[in-house]
Amino acid sequence: MTAIPTFEPTLYHVKRGEQGTALDIAGFSLWYGPAARALHDVALAVEAGLVTALIGPSGCGKSTLLRSLNRMNDLIDGLRTEGRIRFQDQDIYHPDTDVIALRKRMGMVFQKPNPFPMSIFENVVYPLRIDGVRDKGRLAETAERALSGAALWDEVKDRLEDSALGLSGGQQQRLCIARAIAAEPDVLLMDEPCSALDPIATARIEELIDGLRGRYTIVMVTHNMQQAARVSDNTAFMYLGRLIEYGDTETVFTNPKRPRTTDYITGRFG
Amino acid sequence: MSASATRARPPDLAAGGEPFLFGLGGALLAGLFMILGVLALILWNGAATFWPRPIERVELRSGHTLAGEPIRSERFRPAGSAAESRRTLYRVGNYDLYGDEFRWVDEAEIGRRDRPGDLVLIERLEWGVFIGRLVGAETAGRALDPADAEAFAAVHAEARRRWRGMRALERDAIAEVNRRIERERLDLRRLELRHGAGSAIVRAAADAAESRLVHWRAEHGRLSERLERLRSEDARDTARVVESGGREVALKLSAIVRFYPANALGPLGAIRVYLSRWAEFLSEEPREANTEGGVWPAIFGTLAMTVLLSLLVAPLGVMTALYLREYARQGRAVAAVRIAVNNLAGVPSIVYGVFGLGFFAYLAGGTIDALGFAESLPNPTFGTGGLLWASLTLAMLTVPVVIVATEEALASVPRSMREGSLACGASQWQTIRRIVLPRAMPGILTGLILAMARGAGEVAPLMLTGVVKLAPELPIDASFPYLHLERSFMHLGFHIFDVGFQSRNSEAAKPMVFVAALVLILLVAALNALAILIRARLAARFRGGQF
Repeated sequence: MTAIPTFEPTLYHVKRGEQGTALDIAGFSLWYGPAARALHDVALAVEAGLVTALIGPSGCGKSTLLRSLNRMNDLIDGLRTEGRIRFQDQDIYHPDTDVIALRKRMGMVFQKPNPFPMSIFENVVYPLRIDGVRDKGRLAETAERALSGAALWDEVKDRLEDSALGLSGGQQQRLCIARAIAAEPDVLLMDEPCSALDPIATARIEELIDGLRGRYTIVMVTHNMQQAARVSDNTAFMYLGRLIEYGDTETVFTNPKRPRTTDYITGRFG
Repeated sequence: MSASATRARPPDLAAGGEPFLFGLGGALLAGLFMILGVLALILWNGAATFWPRPIERVELRSGHTLAGEPIRSERFRPAGSAAESRRTLYRVGNYDLYGDEFRWVDEAEIGRRDRPGDLVLIERLEWGVFIGRLVGAETAGRALDPADAEAFAAVHAEARRRWRGMRALERDAIAEVNRRIERERLDLRRLELRHGAGSAIVRAAADAAESRLVHWRAEHGRLSERLERLRSEDARDTARVVESGGREVALKLSAIVRFYPANALGPLGAIRVYLSRWAEFLSEEPREANTEGGVWPAIFGTLAMTVLLSLLVAPLGVMTALYLREYARQGRAVAAVRIAVNNLAGVPSIVYGVFGLGFFAYLAGGTIDALGFAESLPNPTFGTGGLLWASLTLAMLTVPVVIVATEEALASVPRSMREGSLACGASQWQTIRRIVLPRAMPGILTGLILAMARGAGEVAPLMLTGVVKLAPELPIDASFPYLHLERSFMHLGFHIFDVGFQSRNSEAAKPMVFVAALVLILLVAALNALAILIRARLAARFRGGQF
């Protein structure tokens, strides 16, 4: 990257959901250290009940933005933020915000399946376990609901006590989705959920995301343009820590308004 | 080998790699040889020590006769002679008569030697072994024919039983009475310290104590009388024995630990003697300045200390590592602490001993004494070496091992696991407890096992912080409060040092060094095996995910 990119104001033409705005990000900037600014004044409103895809080349800040939503970045020393993210009438980065309660409202699915080294059952009910739930009936009910929700129930219902590590990669990722929705969150954050999976498993996850639409607000980071086009309602294109274009997926992919978006989508860089 | 067409230069020796392979394999082999050599040496010497040897009777050309177990022979050059000769070392026993237990005999001086069947080896409570012939016995004033082996054995067993009863009376009953009397004195002293000597409270308490003391003194007199009676009864059971030179000695039957006709034993009898010596070694107290008898107090002390050390070091090390790895902000301070911890592992262990004595025993222990045991002063309770201080010192010595191992184990838990748990809304502590610790547990236990093995084998710091040559009482017994952390104790490692290098009778002590070393190795191996077993079971449980 030789030329210093010129500032482009965000273009905004999103599809509105029926449930209003779930996450309202305004003027959000983030530094990993004094000189390492990762996000520049990002402003973006995530529509509730819809699937929002974050796309952009590597290092553009899309994962950072996603991980800012449930404050997973807090684990990093020297982190600093500016601006605000509003979620359910609360600023996520307000000092009084209860991070643990926040994370319970937002399930997260990671790039690589990360089931815990426990049984399938214990993996799914983990969010309840940490809340101290001991009621067997409630645990079993949650496990069935979450596993059904993640389209895994039929495959594992006879071996719930087996180790989760014995599942295939795709099954493990669906198990992680089940774990993420077990506590009935409002938002699902997905950080490239299919990048470690084969095409068939990817198709199943996409199908699943499609099925979850409407019940959860889904924010998904993806490298796979076709995937964004297939499953998302709105797409945000980011570049070098800035939000360049945010609009309904169809328009972004068929008729992008920004030349840089066009370049990225058509594969001229990336 | 034919020259390769494609290779113009002669092959470099290093390019092939084989010389290094031989070097690497050789290094491994050398290490294995050393380990196996140590084990074989200790096993052979340790296992053979208790096997009964034959007794040779030797008639010297001078007309003198001696009898003893041949220990070893060697070539030597007699003083003022040019020719080499052979000599043999005999264990002749009878220290009370000869003033020496071992004697070198020049082969050239030997006239005749044989192994008569009537020679017996008698292990005694005092003065070591007696080697000679059994010529008569007496019990309660009547003579007993020693040839009647069964009757003699029965009388001997009875005498031994009486001796054990006397010892129990002395050790337990009379000691308990003495403890009561001492406790009364200490209670009074405590009141004096609090209220001043001569105050009304102290005087009233002294009167009350006096009435109890009368009872205890009477009890003491009664027990002493009984002991005296048993002693006089005991003195009437004797055996008459004759040494090879013809002198006759009377031995108290109760002082005979074991006797056997060394040359007429037969394989079964030999095995019986062998096993009975092992049983005595493992279960009895030492006698004769630790060169004879058993090492039970040392085994017990080693076990108690190792267990206590593990209990102390595990929480300390694991919690430190958890803080360093999971909570502390990784920066220069933590890096400095880490370097310090690693260096701590390299400090000579005797330095820890000095620290343990100065800080734990004198400072901490002295403070405890001043606050809680003032009535016993100037006799220290905690203010001197003891089990607790020794274990704490060793815990300090081994804590770096646990910290480093735990940190490694924690670091090996993938970041994705922690993130997965945190993203579910788990707190940091829940994540550590439910995800991180179970995954890290086998690694943590490995560190604990290493620490335990190191601690069990350490001797130098113990010599300063609580291990003694001979401890009168075990650190755990039946008298309140059962676990006596302040008591000094015996330790196998120190026992080896003491027997081998501090005993007056080095020839007799040498085999005991190997036996004690064998027991120590087996003990440490058993402790390790136990810990590994526990680790395997834990690991299996965590794999199953039932944590």
